[in-house]
Amino acid sequence: MSQPSNGALLEVRDLRARIDAKEILKGLDLVVKPGEVHAIMGPNGSGKSTFAGVLAGRDRAEVTGGSATLDGKDLLAMSPETRAVAGLFLGFQYPVEIPGVGNLYFLRTALNAQRKARGEEELDAVDFLGLAREKMKLVEMDPAFMNRGVNEGFSGGEKKRNEVLQMAVLEPRLSILDEIDSGLDIDALRQVARGVEALRSPERSILLVTHYQRLLEYIVPDQIHVMAAGRIVRTGGRELALELEKKGYAWVDS
Amino acid sequence: MNAAEASLVSATGGLPPAPEFVAAARRAGRDAFERSGLPGTRQEDWRFTSLAPLAAHAFGHGDPAVPVLAGDLERVAGKPFGARLVFVNGRFRGELSTAHGMPTGVHASSLAHAISATPGLVESRLGRTAMVDGRPFAALNAAFLGDGAFVHVGADARGGVVELVFATASTDGPVACHPRVLVVADPGGDATLVETYVALGDHPVLTNAVTEVSLGAGARLDHYQVQDQPANAFHFATLTVEQGTDARLSTHSTALGAALSRSDVLARLVGEGAEVHVAGLYMADGKRLVDNHSVIEHVVPRGTSREIFKGILDGAARGVFAGRIRVMAGASKADAHQHNSNLLLSRDAVVDALPQLEIYTDDVKAGHGGTVGELDREALFYLRSRGIPAPAARGLLIYAFAREMVDRVAVPALRDRLGQQVAARLAGGGAILEAE
Repeated sequence: MSQPSNGALLEVRDLRARIDAKEILKGLDLVVKPGEVHAIMGPNGSGKSTFAGVLAGRDRAEVTGGSATLDGKDLLAMSPETRAVAGLFLGFQYPVEIPGVGNLYFLRTALNAQRKARGEEELDAVDFLGLAREKMKLVEMDPAFMNRGVNEGFSGGEKKRNEVLQMAVLEPRLSILDEIDSGLDIDALRQVARGVEALRSPERSILLVTHYQRLLEYIVPDQIHVMAAGRIVRTGGRELALELEKKGYAWVDS
Repeated sequence: MNAAEASLVSATGGLPPAPEFVAAARRAGRDAFERSGLPGTRQEDWRFTSLAPLAAHAFGHGDPAVPVLAGDLERVAGKPFGARLVFVNGRFRGELSTAHGMPTGVHASSLAHAISATPGLVESRLGRTAMVDGRPFAALNAAFLGDGAFVHVGADARGGVVELVFATASTDGPVACHPRVLVVADPGGDATLVETYVALGDHPVLTNAVTEVSLGAGARLDHYQVQDQPANAFHFATLTVEQGTDARLSTHSTALGAALSRSDVLARLVGEGAEVHVAGLYMADGKRLVDNHSVIEHVVPRGTSREIFKGILDGAARGVFAGRIRVMAGASKADAHQHNSNLLLSRDAVVDALPQLEIYTDDVKAGHGGTVGELDREALFYLRSRGIPAPAARGLLIYAFAREMVDRVAVPALRDRLGQQVAARLAGGGAILEAE
């Protein structure tokens, strides 16, 4: 796969990573430009989630080669928090429950940590509450969840909605949403998708990682990539998702 | 006795005269300590906690009249949130104390005052539960009997807080002090007692406190101990409790500082339907050691005991939790549960957790549980992935672990102070509570 890298927000070249002795990413290339929505689809074990984690700085996998840049800056040299400050956001497939850390407090701490690192003024409690309320409305989040511990006792759908809320508050330039659709019923999926759609803008890019094309009925991507065995093996438009739906992933393994 | 032991008892010669029952208790304490000496690591209850570091110091008897400024005391002990009795080097200091806010029905005074004012009441209770045989620190404390606090919770007391602050002040060299707290609650009385232990001055201090609690039928005491000693201090605390029918004690300890901190809780449920809740939070870093021992004895039927201890250990610190629940043959329908969880923040931190259930009856509900773990890596990554720097993210997670214990504090002003004290010991901790 070769694409012009001019003006790329995210540029990944020949990325390789392993977990223990097993190579998971085997030379992955991807370019996402500002404003674009891309989807990476692939069967279980193809390396999708590892790829998302490597971009965000999860240390479970070890990068063994290649490069990944955000706005031309070397992502792989940054700590996870620096990547967030640079504008990267990972929506977790399995958001972590953290009892004892209030959800609202966590969100404000995160936003202010990012603002402080960028040299921007921190938001006081009142201004933050105003912002949080507005975004909660956007993602249709029940305010009662804000005083609980982070994701504590949330249903699967509430956890995913909380991820989208964080994304809405933090306003990242690149959102990587790892199986944001998994475990959601159709109503929850619609709501989550509406929240993501609302954040689409010419400056922001979104990378959806998903197993099913169902999500792509609600968030229509500019490009779809099919991942298999640690590489992107097909790239195309909406028709690729439909073809996958019809033929299954066995089709891309050939 | 070795030199350290001799130095510890030598100061008893300078004690003020006391009525015969006090003098007798002193002699009994001194005799018991001279027989036993300091416990060694060959003794089961002390096998993880070596007292060898004590030998490096010759502890003097601190000047009870040493000048202390109210501001200096507040700096280490916080502002009073009600009636506060202050003790410096074991002696009551009226000019640093305030009776303002003393709860209705509660009489708190210095023990020295109570010994002369109500000797009969004191004599009937003093030393009744804090036995000196086989308990070297209780014995040593008895050898110095004379002052400390006497808290009498009358039958008409309906809640309210009394705070006792014990400051060990060293000016010329290492200082030891042995305060005694005697709490007597009449049937149906209800009060909250907070004990705070701090130190002033730079020399190592040894504090050896004994608190005796006697609760009449249906009485209720909420009891807190906060140990916030400097990192070169030695702290020993013994709490002995006797509970009458349907009496309820909730005791909550927080061990924040000291080079070596040891707490012993000995609770006997001798009245039917009595209930005891023992909670503790302990934190240590560097090479510090914090040891919590407890024995809860169910003697009669329908007793309830709940015990929860949480520890946070960093650096090369060592934690010990040894909790024994004993359900005697006659204690049918006992309901006992114990839990201890520990967070180890470094590879060199160690905890020895020894839950022990001894059950001599069939008709009992008892259980225990515990965990020893590290910070959750995925939770840490989650926080960092949102832009929170690693040290602050760690601080948040550690505080979250401790928070359950802080939240158990029912006195709002104490809960806030404790939360700040815990947070202040964490990286980036100053900010943790700022937005709560």
